[in-house]
Amino acid sequence: MTESAVDITGVQKRFGDLVAVRDLDLRIERGEFFSIIGPSGCGKTTTLRMIAGFEEPTAGRISVGGRDMTGVRPYRRPVNTVFQSYALFPHLDVFENVAFGLREAKVGKGEIRARVGEAVSLVQLEGRERSRPRQLSGGQQQRVALARALVNRPEVLLLDEPLGALDLKLRTDMQTQLKDLQRTVGVTFCYVTHDQGEAFSMSDRVAVMNHGVLEQVGTPEDIYHRPASSFVANFVGTANRFAGRVESVQSDRYAVAIDGVGLRIASGPAGLASGAAVLVLVRPENLVLDGAVGAGAGLDANVVDTAFLGAERTVRLHSPRLGELTATARGSGEAPEQGSRVGLSWADDDAWLIPAAEPAP
Amino acid sequence: MNVRRHPFAAGLSLLVLLFLWLPLIVVAVNSFNQQTIMAGWGGFTTHWYSLALHDQNVRTGLETTLYIAIASALLSLAIAVSGALWWRHASPRARAAYDGLIYARIILPEVVSATALFFLFLKIHFTLGLTAIVIGHTVWNSAYAAIIVQARMAGLDPALEEAAADLGATPWRAFRRVTFAALLPAIIAAGLLAFTFSFDDVVTSVFLQGASNTPLPVVILGMIRFRITPEINAVGLLVMLFTVTLMSFAVLAYATAGSLGRSGRRGNMLDIYRGR
Repeated sequence: MTESAVDITGVQKRFGDLVAVRDLDLRIERGEFFSIIGPSGCGKTTTLRMIAGFEEPTAGRISVGGRDMTGVRPYRRPVNTVFQSYALFPHLDVFENVAFGLREAKVGKGEIRARVGEAVSLVQLEGRERSRPRQLSGGQQQRVALARALVNRPEVLLLDEPLGALDLKLRTDMQTQLKDLQRTVGVTFCYVTHDQGEAFSMSDRVAVMNHGVLEQVGTPEDIYHRPASSFVANFVGTANRFAGRVESVQSDRYAVAIDGVGLRIASGPAGLASGAAVLVLVRPENLVLDGAVGAGAGLDANVVDTAFLGAERTVRLHSPRLGELTATARGSGEAPEQGSRVGLSWADDDAWLIPAAEPAP
Repeated sequence: MNVRRHPFAAGLSLLVLLFLWLPLIVVAVNSFNQQTIMAGWGGFTTHWYSLALHDQNVRTGLETTLYIAIASALLSLAIAVSGALWWRHASPRARAAYDGLIYARIILPEVVSATALFFLFLKIHFTLGLTAIVIGHTVWNSAYAAIIVQARMAGLDPALEEAAADLGATPWRAFRRVTFAALLPAIIAAGLLAFTFSFDDVVTSVFLQGASNTPLPVVILGMIRFRITPEINAVGLLVMLFTVTLMSFAVLAYATAGSLGRSGRRGNMLDIYRGR
């Protein structure tokens, strides 16, 4: 079996009384685009800084490329970082910024010229080698930061919210470019962001953290469609949740009694026992609205409000039995009339279970 | 300015400019004046310059002043730079206290700090002389240097050192190649400013001089008191040219420092200079 790029085992980080990261186990495979997402203060940046060596774990072990990094100073680690603020050296031009790491590594002059040239063209900044950072736009500075890190051929490239300072349009462009860049160079990317859409659009796998705890690791599809907790379900999108109880188990399918609805079939993680309290999740786009009241197995709701977003339309609903609900409908169709009564339904495959009472950490 | 619309302001400005420049022009003209009593124009001469340059008092004074100014500037830079490095990672409360100390040194009338140092040195039996003057100058010089260096430091991304470490630089290399290098324009500006302030100081020097050689500005003061000759004009003009040249370099260096900052803020060191 090949070594993973990053191996985090039982890592904990305390700042005084505050536990920033607790009992973290995480493997990042060679060559993958890996993202860590979560709200601010969830420990994602601390985790990244521990991999970079700016923070030492209070307990546990981090290996990079199979080598134990405990006690290894940042300047001896085979990783490079793209900082949120870029942290470009203001007194050096683009060429010297990119060449910084190579000069520290005592690489020969000719090779420096070749590799810096290569890195600069990789991020499409040819001709700007002699510009100072402040003469560049935000997007260009961001690309200099990328080139400055990648030119050292790190084992892992760490990116700390690198697109946070850019406007929306540029951010979307950069997401595509970053993904392409990662495929081209084949370097393992570890990307930290609070923006789940950004992480989903680029990543092979995503880790979701909350309050220093790793909630779930998986492909974007896993995370979105099969969230492990109520927190994950909400963090990566809107979800309608119904309380229920498992009635019977048939391999990976469960029959669930939903309060106020009745018996339904839903998918869920393995190992839920009969009688377990669960939440049934249905994503807004899977909630089917029908003009005919009673069509959705007797379920219906009042349209509270609709909002037109272009490609789609968000419909807020109130159901006497299920409470507040959100559905999305295609933007091109006719908008359901405000205050009207509609039927509700969803396919069995679109319902996903999560354990209701999460075990205390 | 529209002179007709603001006659009072225009008149006042003219008066200020006159008082500022007229004495300087008179000094400059008289330094080439053959007439000893300077009552009128007696013809062109460079005699006073050769007299000044060969005057032993002036030469020793210049040497003494240069020694004091260089020593005080270097000492002030050491204090300012190490202070700024500490300041960057200090708590807000500690920062406020440190800043307060800086401004206190600038606001305090020089005659007060000079008197205080004079009595302190007597009390602790510290011999007055060049070292005492250097310390005296450094008290306020380091405050000005600190303001300039700190202004630059505040414009630097706190993640710069981490970025350098991330790229393989040891802490010492990171300081040399990044922190110090990025601060350099401000350090040069602060050093030149401190040098200039020290170069033309009279008050502190008079108080703390003791039995040592006399610095140039004090020599000039003595020359006026003793007997006014046109030689003093020549000395004055030379000192003026020297100081103006240094200040121009300082302003230039500081402007460069400002243009390197993240926000591209321009330094306004001239305001600080006017404050003295």
